[in-house]
Amino acid sequence: MKASALFKLFLLVALCLTVTSYGTRVRAAEPTIPIGILGPFTGSLAFNAEEMKKGMMLAVDDVNAKGGLWGRKIELIFGDTEAKPDKGVAVVKKFITRDKVLVVGGGYASSVNIATSEVCQNEKTPIVVAIAISPTITNRGFDYVFRTSPNSPQFLAGVNEWLEKVKKPKTVAFLMENTDYGRDGEKIWSALSNKIGAKELAHLYFEIGDTDFTTQISKLKELKPEATFNIASTTEAALIQKQAKELNFVTQWIGVGGQFTEAYFKMAGPTCQYAMGSSLEPTLAMKNPIVADFVKRYEAKYQKARPGIFSSQGYDNIMVIMDAIKRAGKPTENLQADRDRIRDALRKTSIELTQGKIEFDKTGQVYTVTPSPVQVQLVDGKPQLFIVYPPARAGAPYQVPLPWDKRK
Amino acid sequence: MESLFLQQVLNGLIVGSVYCLIAIGLTMIFGVMRISNFAHGDFSMLGAYFAIYFVLFLSGWAGWVGSLVVAAIGVGLIGFFVERFLFRPLLTRWTDIDIIMLSIGLFILLENGARLLFGATPKMIPDPFESKTINLLFFSTSEIRLICLLFSGIAIFLLQLFLTKTKTGVAIRATSQNRNAATLMGINISFIYSLTFVVGSALAGLGGVLYGTIFAVFPMMGAVPTLKAFAVTILGGMGNIRGAIFGGFILGVAETLGGNYISMQYKNAIGFVIIILVLLIIPQGLFGGVEKK
Amino acid sequence: MNRRPVKLILIILGILIVLALPFIIRDRYFQHLLVLSGIFILLTSSWNLLAGYSGLLNLGHAAFFGIGGYSSALFALKLNLSPWIGLPLGGTVASIFGILLGIPSFRLSGPYLAITTIGFSEILRLVAMNWVSLTRGSLGLYGIPPLTPFNFSSNFSIKFVSEQNAYYVILVFVFLTLVLLNKLIHSEFGISLKSMREDELGSQSIGIDTSRYKLTVFMISAFLAGFAGSFYAHYVRLISPEMLALSETFSILTMVMVGGLGSLFGPVVGAILLTFLSEGLRFFEDFVKIDIRFVIYGGLLMATILFMRNGIIGLFKGVGTSKEKQPEVKG
Repeated sequence: MKASALFKLFLLVALCLTVTSYGTRVRAAEPTIPIGILGPFTGSLAFNAEEMKKGMMLAVDDVNAKGGLWGRKIELIFGDTEAKPDKGVAVVKKFITRDKVLVVGGGYASSVNIATSEVCQNEKTPIVVAIAISPTITNRGFDYVFRTSPNSPQFLAGVNEWLEKVKKPKTVAFLMENTDYGRDGEKIWSALSNKIGAKELAHLYFEIGDTDFTTQISKLKELKPEATFNIASTTEAALIQKQAKELNFVTQWIGVGGQFTEAYFKMAGPTCQYAMGSSLEPTLAMKNPIVADFVKRYEAKYQKARPGIFSSQGYDNIMVIMDAIKRAGKPTENLQADRDRIRDALRKTSIELTQGKIEFDKTGQVYTVTPSPVQVQLVDGKPQLFIVYPPARAGAPYQVPLPWDKRK
Repeated sequence: MESLFLQQVLNGLIVGSVYCLIAIGLTMIFGVMRISNFAHGDFSMLGAYFAIYFVLFLSGWAGWVGSLVVAAIGVGLIGFFVERFLFRPLLTRWTDIDIIMLSIGLFILLENGARLLFGATPKMIPDPFESKTINLLFFSTSEIRLICLLFSGIAIFLLQLFLTKTKTGVAIRATSQNRNAATLMGINISFIYSLTFVVGSALAGLGGVLYGTIFAVFPMMGAVPTLKAFAVTILGGMGNIRGAIFGGFILGVAETLGGNYISMQYKNAIGFVIIILVLLIIPQGLFGGVEKK
Repeated sequence: MNRRPVKLILIILGILIVLALPFIIRDRYFQHLLVLSGIFILLTSSWNLLAGYSGLLNLGHAAFFGIGGYSSALFALKLNLSPWIGLPLGGTVASIFGILLGIPSFRLSGPYLAITTIGFSEILRLVAMNWVSLTRGSLGLYGIPPLTPFNFSSNFSIKFVSEQNAYYVILVFVFLTLVLLNKLIHSEFGISLKSMREDELGSQSIGIDTSRYKLTVFMISAFLAGFAGSFYAHYVRLISPEMLALSETFSILTMVMVGGLGSLFGPVVGAILLTFLSEGLRFFEDFVKIDIRFVIYGGLLMATILFMRNGIIGLFKGVGTSKEKQPEVKG
């Protein structure tokens, strides 16, 4: 069959391509400043990774347009982790040995980043993790590991203060993603509930990719918790809101910030009214000129796309990296010495970006960023995010969730 | 506790009805052609995307109903070409494993192709009722879910009518039971194959629209319905349509009740545990499947 | 001219190249891929034993891999067991599960068996995700100790952390596995397997206890996969529930089909080719700026089934493999 002969040829060619791609990597004619960027660019989290990438490209294109650093262009090398730790490890090894990157950035999801950061530490290459909140990433004493996103206790601190001082719920329940993202938050909130004397009515779970939450919500409806902690990503969170409405279930939903993406608002619509979380959404801090500038430039570059939390975290991540590289000095022939200098420069980071001020503590964890408790409130029927506490920063007062028939 | 139980049963029935539609297509195709199509759930995904794009042109009620029609026709057409050019050539040459693996390849291709074409961002098919809730005596649900349940029921009923009362339908069932005898009776097997695959795929497409309305639409959405459809099919007996109908509802309710009373964490495992248990005791499924080739 | 010396020289040359590879190509990423290929060879060969030689379609193979990995990791982390012992121990735990899966295979076949194996694998994956106290859930087990070094004297020891040394270790295991499988296939056991694959009823009628055979191959196959999983755990030094996902089994399956189902070297070729291809495709993606990797795999699998049913080895059917009829797998 002619097709089969053609196919044999294709395979042969593929074989050759494969073998030849293992010659020296074709680099640009002039030297660049290579930075490896990790992220789940395929799979179910791909759209969030895209947001992160867009934020990063905004920063990098800007710097390169002005001539780069020392006349060299910043080169972002993207590596797809497929949200799997083993693929992440393979990609980061490639970055370090083959692409000879100066530093690794990006990264989304804790399980992958725990693995990749360990590799970076073993290979003495600095890594600055962008979006992952498990405390484990920075508490293993790895000096080459930094993180520009707050960890879970920090993320939840804002909401927790509000819960403790203002809301004081008597009964709570948990509806969590069965990942470390969900379980870490669960531990923190469980401890908090203990502290404020709230009764924990139920601990329920779901898997990423689940779409039917009616079983869990029906159970919650029966228990009637005042507040329900819900850690989920965009799709699941939006579906939970919708299904809560369909089942006529009312509670004060409390989540984290990562779910309040544009896709979430599009999917949930007005049903997500009153949902709360702890967010670093840039559009909340428009009074800050740095943030306003970022939002304006982002919207200009990406034709009216609204920047969300992942875009701003991506932006901050690469800005911190570029700032450290600048302070470390021009790259030399000695890759290890360069990487060590960048690590030292990272330690001394102090820069104002969209999340606020970025400074690292002794463990490489940023400690100067404080997410605020936010609530979704309807403005002309459209859901918007407002900071509701503390009063000094609040954009709007907290609203108690009304029963469904009394809304709108 | 009464109302929670009934609520969960209703939840299970609604989800089960969507599983049913998708599973019926799968079991029909297996019954007639002995094809286990692991890409079946991706036909649902394609149906959902047809709807997403169609409602951009026509919104509200007309849009939703129209999208069902478009999805059925669109996916049916795709099914026609897939059957004719991918599966048909294989039927006489190779065996079960090859077909399963071909369909796995198709599954990987469609899932990732969809991500490239449509984007990874999840979407929803707009609910013409806007999630209006209905509160009945023992349970609550939304209007659209009831409509979907109703629609599934009607679709299943019409399908049964087709299969029992029309000549073509009877021919399909005959081929399913005994292909050689059917040929001897003068049935055009080639036509029956195409028709069955088209109808089965169209049903999957419809299921996809319902799924995308009640739940969400994203490129990876085909994987779970495929597994559930297989679970349902095996539970009911492969090739047995009545089995698929019962199996769908049984699985749906088993998952919600199991999740509620046993464990939320392992809710998704319940389906598999049930099939494994059933298969160990009754290898042909609850209602008996068709003989293998 | 006599062709034999030429063939012999080529074989010796081939062996020398394989042995010296890490010294010829010093790029560590390349060496990492070599080690991964070796692990996949164990996986593909063991899967091939089930599907290619015995006609049993196992879509839950990744579960054996995961069980081996988790077991060995837990033995090392919680019981301080030496990873060298963990390797066969992990394999053994996996083979116990293999026996469990073998039992349904007595009565089930085709899609029924396939779905049962999927169910088996998915249930175990969910256990790995949710039994947090044992497995750390989705975070996975990290900080797994590497294979303990051989200490020869106070100055000289061989460690097994580097890609290069890991390569030689896996090379030994791959060699042993291939030798074992070769013996198995050409033994009476192997011939009975083949007859069972071709015609189960017929072989039962001549007195072959197919149940015992099925159990045995599941056991061996699971052991090898579990062994591979244990090695993986001590090499990559982490393991997570994703290793038990269906997509991993699909990768193995694609490798075997492309390489050649039912032949000894088919899985080897498939494993090496696809491991390198998947990484090579990353470069291609950088070039065209689209994530087209998976679309290509899907297409490749489909094209293989449609046009090249017996894989690459099948294309070279006359060379090196026996001239027997290619297997018709009933599953």
